[in-house]
Amino acid sequence: MTKDILVLGGGIAGIQSSLDLAEMGFKVYLVESLPSIGGKMAQLDKTFPTNDCAI
Amino acid sequence: MLDVGRHPNIELMAYSELDALEGEAGAFKATVRKKVRYVDEAKCTGCGACAEACPTPVPDRYNEGHAERKAIYSWFAQGIPSTHAIDTEYCRVMNGKKCGICQKKCEAGAIDFEQKEEILSLDVGAVIVATGYDVFDPSKMPEYRYTVLDNVVTAMEFERFLSASGPTEGHIYRPSDLKLKAERADLAKKAAKSMKMLKKIEDKHGQSSKDFFESFDMDTADDDQKKWAAKYEAYLEVAKPLARLEEKLAGTGTAKKLAFIQCVGSRDLRFYPFCSGYCCMHSIKEAIIAHEHDNETNSVIFGMDIRAVGKGFEEYKVRGENKSNIRYKRSRVAEIVKGDDERPVLIYEDTQDQVVKKEDFDLVILATACAPVKGTSKIAGILDIEMDQYGFFKTQAQQPLDTSKPGIFVCGCAHSPMDIPESVAQASSAAARAVQAVLQAPALKVS
Repeated sequence: MTKDILVLGGGIAGIQSSLDLAEMGFKVYLVESLPSIGGKMAQLDKTFPTNDCAI
Repeated sequence: MLDVGRHPNIELMAYSELDALEGEAGAFKATVRKKVRYVDEAKCTGCGACAEACPTPVPDRYNEGHAERKAIYSWFAQGIPSTHAIDTEYCRVMNGKKCGICQKKCEAGAIDFEQKEEILSLDVGAVIVATGYDVFDPSKMPEYRYTVLDNVVTAMEFERFLSASGPTEGHIYRPSDLKLKAERADLAKKAAKSMKMLKKIEDKHGQSSKDFFESFDMDTADDDQKKWAAKYEAYLEVAKPLARLEEKLAGTGTAKKLAFIQCVGSRDLRFYPFCSGYCCMHSIKEAIIAHEHDNETNSVIFGMDIRAVGKGFEEYKVRGENKSNIRYKRSRVAEIVKGDDERPVLIYEDTQDQVVKKEDFDLVILATACAPVKGTSKIAGILDIEMDQYGFFKTQAQQPLDTSKPGIFVCGCAHSPMDIPESVAQASSAAARAVQAVLQAPALKVS
């Protein structure tokens, strides 16, 4: 039995899950197929409804 | 993103893929393959000297093909990790040619053409699937002439145009004009080269090529003069189209009249019957940002209805109309045809006036559907979980983030189309579900 958790995909959803788990003290393996994380969100300039910067 | 890279509890495995998963909740064994970057992760500092020196340009997928990167690259400038990777499809060394410039330029000695892929075996108690989505390919809809008309782009392409770090530094140039500009740059380079050669001859003879050519007579000319004339003719062959291009480009500016077409691929029985959810707000946002950048910008959003469902969304939509020159038009655009000066012309029925109208725009942006990511069935096979009828991962209404296999959870657009706030909320929920799975807390008995 192990408490480590595997997260597949480093977009905004995978990033948020990983951070939450890591903050709770769990060991996370975050696997992303592209060379960097960020996913589609990293391609966005700003986000609605606040026009905050995406990155 | 930065937090992920430096959190002691997160082991980030970028440029990696899951090859196999065995076992059950609480005791899975995952096989992860680290793809070969040909760059040593431990040594690369992400300085970019390699990419600067690399002689091979490659279309940049991050910028939706509207910019170029090099065969050695980082996915985007602020990427985490910043470790570069070599694109084996384009790299000269990988294709058996002589190069290795990046290796010479790398002060950290990180480039390793002999690097092999690594297979890692991980013991995990739970899995969260957050594999995201793909942008629907609108070239499947011939009536919108995507890829046929240069000035019809997807919302994601337009997003890159709006970005200050994008291919146009935030200025909204029409792709057709950008094409002409690239052509002009190419011709100007050729003309300059040709001119340089002529200049040498001119200096030698003390006469301009133009004057010489006017009095040039093929029958009486010597070999030197014939060569000079041939070179001048070659120059004219480049200079004339260059002058024509200059003239054409002189009148062009940025795109100020924009049309957004909603439900491209969504709510369409030929493709996806579902509503992609975020595209109405995405189009409004893009129109607002475009107006912020240049307050002469006018936008029309063509849609069956504008779905502004979410906290603060309706107010955002109204603000767009009141302050950002956005008009909402209730219509499903039938066709886009080519107009004068590369301007796309929309043919649509204005359902309020009940008449068919034609209107031309500088640029048309297609709000493309949120499609299941390519390779979903492969991932489903590896994880042994079910997909729904569209190709997203199957869940039950009572347990919305549980896949068909205990211990495996799904969130974000791998679940179904959704926007960022919802993805974030779901991601936190999935994290909580995963914790429950690994802790296996005994269920409380209710007496």
